[in-house]
Amino acid sequence: MTNGAFEVPAKGGFSFDNCKRNEMLLNKGLKAPGFLKTGTTIVGLVYQDGVILGADTRATEGPIVADKNCEKIHYMAPNIYCCGAGTAADTEAVTDMVSSQLKLHRYHTGRESRVITALTLLKSHLFRYQGHVSAALVLGGVDVSGPHLHTIYPHGSTDTLPFATMGSGSLAAMSVFESKYREGLTRDEGVKIVCEAIASGIFNDLGSGSNVDVCVITKGNVEYLRNHVQPNPRTYTSAKGYTFSKPTEVLSTKVTALAQRAVVTERGDAMEEE
Amino acid sequence: MEDLGLNAPHSMGTTIIGVTYKDGVILGADSRTSTGVYVANRASDKITQLTDNVYVCRSGSAADSQIVSDYVRYFLHQHTIQLGQPATVKVAANLVRLLAYGNKDTLQTGMIVGGWDKYEGGKIYGIPLGGTIIEQPFSIGGSGSSYLYGFLDQAWKDGMSKDEAEELVKKAVSLAIARDGASGGVVRTVIINEEGVTRNFYPGDQLPLWHEELEPQNSLLDIWGAAAASPVPMTE
Amino acid sequence: MTKEHANWSPYDFNGGTCVAVAGADYCVIAADTRMSTGYNILTRDYSKICKLAEKSVLASSGFQADVRALQKHLDARHLIYQHQHNKQMSCPAMAQLLSNTLYYKRFFPYYAFNVLGGLDNEGKGCVFTYDAVGSYEKVGYSSQGSGAKLIMPFLDNQLKSPSPLLIPAQDAVTPLSESEAIDLVRTAFASATERDIYTGDKLEILVLNKEGLRREYMELRLD
Repeated sequence: MTNGAFEVPAKGGFSFDNCKRNEMLLNKGLKAPGFLKTGTTIVGLVYQDGVILGADTRATEGPIVADKNCEKIHYMAPNIYCCGAGTAADTEAVTDMVSSQLKLHRYHTGRESRVITALTLLKSHLFRYQGHVSAALVLGGVDVSGPHLHTIYPHGSTDTLPFATMGSGSLAAMSVFESKYREGLTRDEGVKIVCEAIASGIFNDLGSGSNVDVCVITKGNVEYLRNHVQPNPRTYTSAKGYTFSKPTEVLSTKVTALAQRAVVTERGDAMEEE
Repeated sequence: MEDLGLNAPHSMGTTIIGVTYKDGVILGADSRTSTGVYVANRASDKITQLTDNVYVCRSGSAADSQIVSDYVRYFLHQHTIQLGQPATVKVAANLVRLLAYGNKDTLQTGMIVGGWDKYEGGKIYGIPLGGTIIEQPFSIGGSGSSYLYGFLDQAWKDGMSKDEAEELVKKAVSLAIARDGASGGVVRTVIINEEGVTRNFYPGDQLPLWHEELEPQNSLLDIWGAAAASPVPMTE
Repeated sequence: MTKEHANWSPYDFNGGTCVAVAGADYCVIAADTRMSTGYNILTRDYSKICKLAEKSVLASSGFQADVRALQKHLDARHLIYQHQHNKQMSCPAMAQLLSNTLYYKRFFPYYAFNVLGGLDNEGKGCVFTYDAVGSYEKVGYSSQGSGAKLIMPFLDNQLKSPSPLLIPAQDAVTPLSESEAIDLVRTAFASATERDIYTGDKLEILVLNKEGLRREYMELRLD
């Protein structure tokens, strides 16, 4: 091989190669492509014996619904889950990355992951990129020191709260929490309030929609209730169904035989360099 | 479409204060964190522990002030181990200054460091935006502080008792909360002296009422009901 | 304050989708009843359909204030027409009036996207489709508004329209029966509501035929 004139993929971090060029194009009036944003309602609350997380399942791209049933509650560790709002790629990447760091940390220490560790790893990453990694997260879990719930903003600031909401539907959801949350809720009461908060986002915020996902985390147990409530069925289906009247016509057909397979005869040592 | 500024960085339009008194220092802060006009957290804790005997009041960008205090806490832990004794307030404040000054082009945060050590007793250091450091008998910061300069110039006295000083801090923060829209929620105080640290918490509905403030209400309909007793004709 | 002034715009976008389908002896005009701004729903029950004359019905989406101003203007013009001619305006005449009204504001347009449906003088269904500044075309079916880009290809697939360039001119009306057309419109809206965030809540359908005007509703997704 020749001496390293190849483009080797970077080992880690982002590539900023085209930033200057893109900035110039943007100034000249180029329209940057849109990203998949999860205009979202995500929530979490602390109850009697753990944490409950909730999320809607709509992903939008501008005014269009790109995914009617996406998953916004991400796995971090067996005892920690994380809801993501913002740019879908960012929430996905940042939670996957930290989840892998947590697993390595568990192999290293032989102990269960702590929520504060996940929180620190997430906020360090987000702070480093000064808000350009647009992930707004609700992190929840139960570890050796009990249940924990945090919110993390794209700029890297964090809050510790008994109940939290994020995303474009956060105001609708918070209005439910502010009027109904109290200390010492039971599991069923907690799930009900979480569902109500998400539903309020689904119905009142256009960025949120479809179904309610819930995740109940307790000491030593996780219940992931995918599509726990489905309040938005299709309202009309034609009885007769639809057909495509006429397929694209084939005008002519010509079959070209594949080229004869080349025979390679080996000589010398297979590993030998020229 | 109205812009609530929900995508704006999290910032603490704040009232923070630190005062010295006879035996130590008292730090005080409100508890409001906002993104634009939305209150993202109404019960935040802006008085952060750095060591056993040193605390810091944070204002400005939440992300920036958190990262600075996280670093300083980490450095002070190392320092305490290497030294084999508690870090002084001066060292803690100087570490904050070092980070604030060295990263002044990227940081949007003002802090007040306060604590007690056996060499100098209770000390307050103000570290405003650019990374200046000023040792002061009392210091105020955040957006609510502009309402407090005159009040503290008049009301702060040398050698106050603990109760007098805490009353002053409580009064100052509640005055600022009453006037500054970006400050609100509860009043938190931290008292640091030779004996140790005491944290206090005063809920928003138990704070003194200032000029033209209304009594706390469970429902706005209660006010409406009272007003409806003396009906005012509706005008077009 | 200065910042708010720099960003101020005389326009808003309140979303919504309109569809009209013309048949041999009927015309179906439909629109959803959601009105929104940004990510907020302002109301779930606002009619986008306006009856302008006995045989002309206008469905409009875009900026509600402009739509309302436009409807009011057309109503007034039609009242004058009735006084001057002692009869109702025909649908093709209303179509031309709407175009002129829109073009009059060529350099400060009404932010309104219209579909005009009705019956012509022979009682045949007709649909006229517009852009915001008055360019219009007589078609057999059309869709306008936030869900148009989802509905239009579906209608194109189901109701192939003859080229307007054909000689002799082909009839634009669709071959469907009235009930088939309504079924098609219902499906189109149920589908658009699945993918367009600005379409939903309720579907309002107006049917014009020789019996007169009929109105029906259908529930749509509320999210």
